[in-house]
Amino acid sequence: MQGTPAIPWLAKCGLSALVLLIACGFATAWFGNGLQLPATTTRDGTLITLNRYVREPTPDVVLVGSSLTFRLKEEYFATPRLRNLALAGGSPVTGLEIVANQSRFPRVILVEANVLSRQADTALVEKYSRSGNAEPLLFRPIRTGVPAYENWLHAAINHAQAASALSGTLEQPPSDFDNHIYVDRAFQQMNAEDPAAAVRLNVERIEQLIRTIEPRGTRVLLFELPYSGQLEDARSVKITREIVHAKFNDPNLWLHIDFSTAELRWADGVHLDERSAMIVAQSIDKALSSLPGPK
Amino acid sequence: MTFTSWQFGIFVAAVFGAYYFPPFKTLQIQLLVIASLFFYGYGQPELLPLLAVAVLGTYLFLILAVRNRPIWLPIGIAFNLALLAFFKYKFLFVGPASTGLTGVTPVDLLLELPLPIGISFFVFHNISLLVDLTRQKSAPPDLTSVFLYIIFFPQLVSGPITRAEMFMPQIKPKYLVDVPFVEAAKWILSGFFFKLYVANNLNEMTSYMDFPLYETLQTQDRWLLVFLYGYQIYADFFGYSAIAIGLALLFGYRLPVNFNLPYISISFSEFWTRWHISLSSWLRTYLYIPLGGNRHGALRTYLNLMIVMGLGGLWHGAGLGYLMWGLLHGLLLVIERPLISRLQSIDSTVFRAVRISFVFVCVTLLWIFFRLPNFDHAISYLSGMFAPSTNPNPPKLFYSLALLYSLPVIIQHFVSSSLFERSSWRGAEPYLYGSMAALMYLEAGPETSFIYFQF
Repeated sequence: MQGTPAIPWLAKCGLSALVLLIACGFATAWFGNGLQLPATTTRDGTLITLNRYVREPTPDVVLVGSSLTFRLKEEYFATPRLRNLALAGGSPVTGLEIVANQSRFPRVILVEANVLSRQADTALVEKYSRSGNAEPLLFRPIRTGVPAYENWLHAAINHAQAASALSGTLEQPPSDFDNHIYVDRAFQQMNAEDPAAAVRLNVERIEQLIRTIEPRGTRVLLFELPYSGQLEDARSVKITREIVHAKFNDPNLWLHIDFSTAELRWADGVHLDERSAMIVAQSIDKALSSLPGPK
Repeated sequence: MTFTSWQFGIFVAAVFGAYYFPPFKTLQIQLLVIASLFFYGYGQPELLPLLAVAVLGTYLFLILAVRNRPIWLPIGIAFNLALLAFFKYKFLFVGPASTGLTGVTPVDLLLELPLPIGISFFVFHNISLLVDLTRQKSAPPDLTSVFLYIIFFPQLVSGPITRAEMFMPQIKPKYLVDVPFVEAAKWILSGFFFKLYVANNLNEMTSYMDFPLYETLQTQDRWLLVFLYGYQIYADFFGYSAIAIGLALLFGYRLPVNFNLPYISISFSEFWTRWHISLSSWLRTYLYIPLGGNRHGALRTYLNLMIVMGLGGLWHGAGLGYLMWGLLHGLLLVIERPLISRLQSIDSTVFRAVRISFVFVCVTLLWIFFRLPNFDHAISYLSGMFAPSTNPNPPKLFYSLALLYSLPVIIQHFVSSSLFERSSWRGAEPYLYGSMAALMYLEAGPETSFIYFQF
């Protein structure tokens, strides 16, 4: 091994790396970087959603929220041109900040008011508040090849394409999965937290952002997603609700969604299961259609 | 400062340039010592005095033990083990965020210090230094050389654990012309590739093994993630060791190879000659053999194996999970020992493949105790692997990505290295390493620290 001449070896090694990188640079120019990456983690899912938002035409309706809202998949909604920018593990304020920093606004922004104890992700806000070019510079063969394969295998569907599957699921009875272990654990965790300080800061920021956004013709409405019975009494839920309703006490600031709580289930104790998410999405559709303005 | 940061790249380039700069030729050792102190203190300067105390204390005991080995050698070893035990196991009794515990400021200061990075490794270096150099009965080396042996920055944080009798003779003037650049480049590129491409990407998936996320997984995904973690921990630690070996070569030092394709071992005893070789040889030399090794009959040998593996497990951390991991490996060695000669006598490719698979599956299952040091969580994860999942909405893992990220480990283990030794393939070698460099840049996973940094 020591007998190998170093300079030719290193030159060939460096050159081949350089050639590959240049080829990937050309590939980016040729193919673009528009392929959706598969979400191996919730973080990936977040980036997919945000990449798409800054690249595609501005939708009419945008939802921002936490992992609770993240479960409301876009194909569940009949409302056309709706985007769900909820960030699993994130704060609704992050999504709202990103939307507020774009040059064009949607007609309606729906802000989840359940989880307001987390700070906005400033790095994400910064990244997606620039000119919209948040994609990597170079073509990434594996991160492009695998999504191409996965997208081919499981092509994304819209509401019309999903309609039969949705109605099939909705016709099923609610799940009888026993989630009490998860609910107990979530209750303990939510009872141990006192989110008051963080919620106050986030509520202030949401109010500032609403004042910035609404003069430009966009309507910003808050909404609350339901928790499973026991969690409604958890300390952090009560504190958050009290602060939010004290600040936003005008009923016109809220989107009123009606659903039958008896039909809803939370598989992991906190997040709506698929069928329940569909029911809530339908309720949001209904509430949106009753809003004044162009449909 | 981590190996994967750009700051580290600048640091190495600057030290390398100064190291071979002719006017500094006589100051090479001092330069490496200063660079190593800077490396260690970068970001955590409060831990530098502790490192200095460990090295100076060991040096003092070395001088005393050279004069009177029977008395001062055990005291020197006890000093180092006490340091290790204090910092590693104090968190069993003191919460990491506790403050003002005793009201005595110096004691509280010590209790509040975080776990010094690399303490498990430099304490083992210290003990090796004391044992090896006092055995030789020669004059102790100078303090600078001792400092260099213990804190040489490529190996300071996570090894390989280099024995003093191997390292000390290498301390002499170094010349640029002697640097094996190609060999160093191969080690460094392999190391970064395994860390950035394999380990960091797999970490995104194996993060689902955390409590309580694993409870949402499907049964087959629990199995998959355990195997992925087996690949991840190998890629992570092999990656670190390879970078360390390559960097050391740039400065004229040859560190011991730490991994030799461990997942093709046909027995558990062979696994421990292929996995973290520097730790297992340290434990054999300084613990197993002094305990009597296999010289006092079968029962005593089994007891020695259990003691060594149990302590080896605890060396990783103060947790029942680590102890259990070590003891279970010890148990496997004990069970295997009386059968090994009979197993070796069966000459069959199929049987060999079965043995490799069996060892691999057992070793992989035991990684659960490593991944989840909380014993209850580990048992809960393990039991969930043998029960149908009930979660109606489990997370989705992409098997195609899992395969692509694991592939380098599989290829490395199962494609014979002799293939690359053939002259027709040798010409392709620089292009292969160049492609690895490009791929690790393009497809690097999200930044995570090396798994062994916590030890």
